[in-house]
Amino acid sequence: MADEAHLRALLLKGMAGEAAAHRAFLAEAAALLRGYFRNRLRARPEDAEDLVQETLVALHTRRDSYDPNFPLTAWMYAIARYRLIDFLRRAKHRAHASLDDGLDIGGVDPDYGASDARRDVATLLAKLPEKQRTAIRLVKLEEKSVHEAATETGYSESDIKISIHRGMKTLMRLMGQEHAS
Amino acid sequence: MKTDKLIEMLARGDDPTPQSRSLLRLALTLGAGLAVSVTLLALWLGVRPDIGVAMMPVMMKAAFSAAAAAAALPLAARLMKPGRPLGWRLGAVALFVALAALVSFTALMGEEPGERMRAWTGGGFPWCLVLVPVLGAPTAALLLWLMRAFTPTRLTMAGAAIGAVSGGVGAMAYSMYCPIDSVAFVTTWYVLAIALCAVLGAVIGARVLRW
Repeated sequence: MADEAHLRALLLKGMAGEAAAHRAFLAEAAALLRGYFRNRLRARPEDAEDLVQETLVALHTRRDSYDPNFPLTAWMYAIARYRLIDFLRRAKHRAHASLDDGLDIGGVDPDYGASDARRDVATLLAKLPEKQRTAIRLVKLEEKSVHEAATETGYSESDIKISIHRGMKTLMRLMGQEHAS
Repeated sequence: MKTDKLIEMLARGDDPTPQSRSLLRLALTLGAGLAVSVTLLALWLGVRPDIGVAMMPVMMKAAFSAAAAAAALPLAARLMKPGRPLGWRLGAVALFVALAALVSFTALMGEEPGERMRAWTGGGFPWCLVLVPVLGAPTAALLLWLMRAFTPTRLTMAGAAIGAVSGGVGAMAYSMYCPIDSVAFVTTWYVLAIALCAVLGAVIGARVLRW
């Protein structure tokens, strides 16, 4: 698969700290995931985009679960498939998708623009605990460095980093719970 | 929020992510689980009174139980991270069960026909079916907790593997109490007790391991 080596290189660079490579990885993963979820949730494109976003957060917060001895796409689609099954279990719409073909990426939808999800991540951020929310707001939304965020809040830099990481994991959990409602 | 904006947010201001060291933590967790099971056994049931003269069968039973745990351990370790093929790891479990059945059968055939039933059932209720899961429970709890720190995506199978490993550890502790030394008894009922642990682990894991 042409994507494999390319995506793998991007993820590994991103894990080594290259933000641009990580951004490129997430963008390309998003396109593949969109194809994957739309194929399986044909009648519900908004749900598909919700799942794309949820899976992106999962790929991001659980990057350390990628074992470089194995194909990256297998890792990515295993997580995508898991999020899909979790979604179907919550939504009790099992009949909508075939769950057997984990590696079938189907027709990739090149339509980047139509990427509005039903749920709004910004609203979910407001539900995070104070410390996690502040850390994410400063670094992720207001584009401050970890150092600046630490100075501004009085927390240590590692505190800020941990809060961001935990906050993103909490966010993914909240994204999953939203489906249920 | 548009997906593009979410990606911007995720990629911004992030730090290098180190690889998680799963195998070391797995080994430490197993050691801790075994220690708790042995302590629980010693304080609650007590070791068998004749353990001094029965050291040989006790060691054999403990080794058999350790082999059961070892047969399921590669499967559990493999399921800690997503997208890795299971390969021979399910086969290892099947091979262990097949070998145990073979040993069980051979040992029974070696008994006098009148003695076979007694050698097989141990002459009473096989308490290992209850006590092995109880003694394995602390290990199972620790392993589930460890597994939650990783990213399993096949939860039922991960739970079953954890259950089987924990059952093996529980059976290791139980060996010090169990008064029945018949080979056919151990290779049948210990395996069934550990299989029961795997079933319990599958049911519990499918719920507890969700993320």
